[in-house]
Amino acid sequence: MKQLYYDVKKCLGCKSCEIACAVAHSLTGDLFKAFKEEVLSLPRKKVLASKDKNYPVSCRHCKDPVCVDACMAAALVYDKEKGMVLHDDKRCVGCWMCVMVCPYGAIRPNIKTKLPLRCDKCKDKDEPSCVKACPTGAIIWQEELSLKV
Amino acid sequence: MKQYVIIGNSAAGISAAEAIRKNDVAAKILIFSDEDYPAYCRCLISYYLAGDVKEEKILYRPEDFYRENNIELFLNKKVARIDPKKSRITLEDKTQVSYDTLLIATGASPKLPETKGIKKRGVFGLRTIKDAKEISGLLPITKAACVLGGGLVGLKAAYALKKRNVGVKVVIKSRQVLSQMLDSEAAGFVQKRLEENGIEFILGEDVAEIIGNGDIKAIKLGSGKAFETSLVVVGKGVTPNMDPIKETEIKFNEGIITNNLLQANIANIYAAGDCAESFDLTLGGLCVNALWPVAVEQGRVAGANIAGGNLNYAGSLGMNSIEFFGLPAVSLGIYKVKDGEAGFEELKLHDTKANLYKKIILKDNFAVGAILVGDIKNSGVLLRLIRERIEVSSFKDKLLRENFGYPDIMALVKDKEHLYV
Repeated sequence: MKQLYYDVKKCLGCKSCEIACAVAHSLTGDLFKAFKEEVLSLPRKKVLASKDKNYPVSCRHCKDPVCVDACMAAALVYDKEKGMVLHDDKRCVGCWMCVMVCPYGAIRPNIKTKLPLRCDKCKDKDEPSCVKACPTGAIIWQEELSLKV
Repeated sequence: MKQYVIIGNSAAGISAAEAIRKNDVAAKILIFSDEDYPAYCRCLISYYLAGDVKEEKILYRPEDFYRENNIELFLNKKVARIDPKKSRITLEDKTQVSYDTLLIATGASPKLPETKGIKKRGVFGLRTIKDAKEISGLLPITKAACVLGGGLVGLKAAYALKKRNVGVKVVIKSRQVLSQMLDSEAAGFVQKRLEENGIEFILGEDVAEIIGNGDIKAIKLGSGKAFETSLVVVGKGVTPNMDPIKETEIKFNEGIITNNLLQANIANIYAAGDCAESFDLTLGGLCVNALWPVAVEQGRVAGANIAGGNLNYAGSLGMNSIEFFGLPAVSLGIYKVKDGEAGFEELKLHDTKANLYKKIILKDNFAVGAILVGDIKNSGVLLRLIRERIEVSSFKDKLLRENFGYPDIMALVKDKEHLYV
């Protein structure tokens, strides 16, 4: 299972990952066209600064996901094979229980679409868009547990 | 082969059954429900009533769930009595079923006030899919409805009725909406948003009588005022379903008293969900937190323990998340400091124009509760501060800020961080 890791020493807080994320999840997939879409695509990742360092924050696809427990619409499920928390947009009612319980603050509400903003690891793409977009190589996309620090 | 009996087929019952099955593939699992429906998302019935959610989306688990997990489901079977000495239950139809271990997940029922006329046809709770369907059936001939109570269920009912083009008046005894989860400032934002969308409120008034001969005609208030209505929905909270245990040696206060394993005072009986009293992390004692996420978590812990595990239940706390007409609000733990209570500190931000309200309640530099309106994105991080009892003095000035987040508390949380290298 591949996971996103972050080399915090390299992160400049430029937010290229945020923009790439928003574009990747827009309808057109193009930065300039995305701005003209009826509902503006928002990033599922946020770079937060703390004590002079920058931390990209997004869904970690926890193995014991509290958001799945909290989902009163059964829209969130943990897919063991994929190692991912999946979200069924069609079932979601926008109650924000998942936002309320995420211990990482990694799920944010999109009030316009009434859907939670949550990293889906760019589903079918080879790698998440944020990885490619990072100019310093601070975002690492690799197999879990194999990371040697 | 063990036989496990679960009374209740909602959040706690289902998650317990899943946990039992995960740990014991052979055991017999029997679920008894007094409803006529496979497990469904109870909190969605107001959305169903509103027309926002179709019936096929309301099932909590896929149709083949019970077969796939080898669970025997008995619908429309109300449990009349539990006999702990003989380890068996008796159904209302006199059938007796024995168990090795029992989970009581009977849930709760709407509290009905003792108002004159409360038993009339046309007065509903909004707790079951059956309630929602019955109310829905009356809406084509309903012009004006009345909701009694300004709690979450009351407001969700009001929203649903309004969405179905029925005029709604909400009568609330207290001076604010959502008095069980918001302070008056936060409640003001929510009330305003609902009023802007056509829902009327009558605050600080109680209903004296529901008037009508056969069908409901009107509501009479304590002040003597009256107005026409043909449908009444009662949202005055819920009370745990204790009927089958009342005459037994199982101990209960408001709900069944449980220990850290969610076990009742009898070794082979467990309780979970809206009928169970468990440790409350902010109050420091036992209480019922009748919430979907709490029921799911308790069900999982109880289920694992029933199947021979030894999982400790850390405890729950009162919390809720709502959204009406684009305005989200979250309440966590202690949301209001009672007059005269010393030792609390409130951090607060109130911006009427931006529809923004944030309040964090601290005690000795530990967060014990919060209310967020408008901007709720950090509620999970605040919840973690409360649950894990993280001392906040090193980042207190940042708590209310836009850029506060998980990185600020990372070094202080229980689980070791492994994604940032």
